[in-house]
Amino acid sequence: MNPTSGPGEEPAGAPRPVRRAVLRAVFTAAVLAGTGGALAPVLLQGQGPGGPGQERDAVGPERFSELYKGREIRGTATTVVPAGAQAHAGTSFAAPAADVSVDGRTLHVMRRADGSYLSTVTHYESFPTLLETARAAVDELGTAQLSAVSPHTI
Amino acid sequence: MHSRKNQRDLTRTEKKRLVDAILELKRSGRYDDFVTLHRQYYVTDGESRPRPAHMTPSFFPWHRQYLLEFEKALQSVDPRVSVPYWDWTRDNTAKSSLWAEDFLGGNGRPGDRQVMTGPFAYRRGGWRIRAEVTDDHFLRRNFGRPSAPVTLPGAAEVDRALGDPVYDTAPWNSVSATGFRNRIEGWGIRGGRGIANHNKVHRWIGGSMAGAASPDDPVFWLHHAFIDLLWSRWQKTHPRARYLPARALPADDPQRDRIFPLDRPMPPWDVAPSQLMDHTRLYRYV
Ligand SMILES: [Cu+2]
Repeated sequence: MNPTSGPGEEPAGAPRPVRRAVLRAVFTAAVLAGTGGALAPVLLQGQGPGGPGQERDAVGPERFSELYKGREIRGTATTVVPAGAQAHAGTSFAAPAADVSVDGRTLHVMRRADGSYLSTVTHYESFPTLLETARAAVDELGTAQLSAVSPHTI
Repeated sequence: MHSRKNQRDLTRTEKKRLVDAILELKRSGRYDDFVTLHRQYYVTDGESRPRPAHMTPSFFPWHRQYLLEFEKALQSVDPRVSVPYWDWTRDNTAKSSLWAEDFLGGNGRPGDRQVMTGPFAYRRGGWRIRAEVTDDHFLRRNFGRPSAPVTLPGAAEVDRALGDPVYDTAPWNSVSATGFRNRIEGWGIRGGRGIANHNKVHRWIGGSMAGAASPDDPVFWLHHAFIDLLWSRWQKTHPRARYLPARALPADDPQRDRIFPLDRPMPPWDVAPSQLMDHTRLYRYV
């Protein structure tokens, strides 16, 4: 199983009014563009509740809890951010927008202007969902544990 | 005035001097200050704070000054040393002499990704990184990230960026779909393209280089020297093109206070991009 989106395989889909709309747009746009294969894992997620333990009702923020490659990953988006709108209002969504953990250790995440996420582990690529961000972190970590030290205190 | 060489052309002695100078900066604590600085200025475009270093037009000049400061520190240890560059379009495998025992050491081992060879292997005693990202104090590498494989960018990818006649474009961040700057910095564009060039190289090396403390891996400097050289090549290719934005953005532009137009001094050095447009009186690439 290889559910992470690859480096460049960020799904298609333009400015996003709200997350759920985006995921739908992603699916449509990618199908139209015929970009097929590489996007498949992301698309499957985008279509619905997705993997085990992942809950995403029609209006709620992303929330998941699963065992991925033997690691317990959990995540909750604490806010649903209409990314484009926020950016234009000049509001920061750097404030805790998400709680993500790997084996109980906090995975610090940041956001890009398009609403996608990066983490302290994968700082040079971003992912449309917290779940993919957490899985990519596990892939990169191997058997390593996240630091117990908060980067904000360093 | 000094020269920055292609790392593949360094003599055994030059490699040793460079490695020794890096180890000495590490020993004195100065190296870790550079790691901290890079992290401190890593502000994403999801935030409203000023971002001088990444996802921003001043990606090139900020890193040029950052490398100059590092090079100055190296030269305070050994004046004969300069930062070489790594042309990853050419030396694009794990077998490159860059990763040999006498230079940067090789890939991390399976599992914990620990680098076991070369002067920066933890067990050699000279390279203990701070546990900022993971709990470990050893350098990590994970070439090509086999779980979601990527290859190093080729010449065609670089040429696409060099061929763009415009330095940067609105909205002056990671979603700028055209412009030399983001084609090299290499953020993926939704519906457009995947990560490229600079970002892709960070990801190919993986481990420490993929994360928030990327300068923990000394290859960081060689990678960024090549990025710096590419900027210089782009300038030569488009002699009439200029750094953008040339002036402050209009007051109603949300990016106005977040980015650094030509004459706005960048922290922490208070040096404006305009002061860094021409490196030829400081160093040259050979
Ligand atoms: Cu970099």
